[in-house]
Amino acid sequence: MFENTWNNIIDWFRDRSERAKLVRSFNDSAKNSFVGGIAPTLLKASISKGESSYKHQFSNWLNSGYRIQAFTGRVLTKNELIHIGTVILDDSVLVRRLIVLGFDTLEIHGDAGTYGCRWQLKDYIPLPKFNENE
Amino acid sequence: MKMNDTLIQDSIKVAGKAITKVTEANDNTNWWMWLAIVELGVIAYLILKEKLKSKVTAKQQFKSESLKQDIDFNNIINSSFNSIKLYDELKVKCHPDRFPTDREKNIIAENLFQEISKNKTNVKRLLELKEEAIQKLNINF
Repeated sequence: MFENTWNNIIDWFRDRSERAKLVRSFNDSAKNSFVGGIAPTLLKASISKGESSYKHQFSNWLNSGYRIQAFTGRVLTKNELIHIGTVILDDSVLVRRLIVLGFDTLEIHGDAGTYGCRWQLKDYIPLPKFNENE
Repeated sequence: MKMNDTLIQDSIKVAGKAITKVTEANDNTNWWMWLAIVELGVIAYLILKEKLKSKVTAKQQFKSESLKQDIDFNNIINSSFNSIKLYDELKVKCHPDRFPTDREKNIIAENLFQEISKNKTNVKRLLELKEEAIQKLNINF
């Protein structure tokens, strides 16, 4: 029991670190692409509350949303926001990583107002059914 | 009476000596006992450690495998803004209908077109396919 608790604590800290790393890597790449002229808009990833009805077996209790927001630069249209979402969802490695790190919602937002799109991550990757009592 | 007193005194002396010997003997065995206890503790720890070693569940294995793979964020950002244009260009130039007479090129174009459609949101792969199209189909972009 002690061993399990200890492992859970270690896992929790490891997950926190991996989640932060995922957000940081995205933001670094977005910044470099914006500065290098590859992307016309600066994108910024952050962790959001997420949608509780999208929960899956890896979901975090709190803050299970991965939000990407368009900041400075050109204002993005709704189609462009949808396309960014599609690019992310088409990358199975990234979706898998997001899921195992406890994210269940992908949100793409524009900089003006609160308009944006939201996807349920578990729809985009076949998740095996694990035995919770194992 | 006097003889009895002497006997009592002697037996007290003997008892006193015996007690001292037992205490001395106990002092010696205490070290061995503590050593044995420590040894037992070490053995118990090793056995318990082996028993309590967390078994890797299927869920944990799925998680660790997912965390091992690399993610190309630069390609994702690039694809978010530039894949549509590149895809539109490639799908027109590499369409199999552009090679109706040349059977070999038609087959290559068909395969390329399928790959292009499959990777329409991946700029890195689309650029590789563009290069392949230039080499195999002699297309000028």
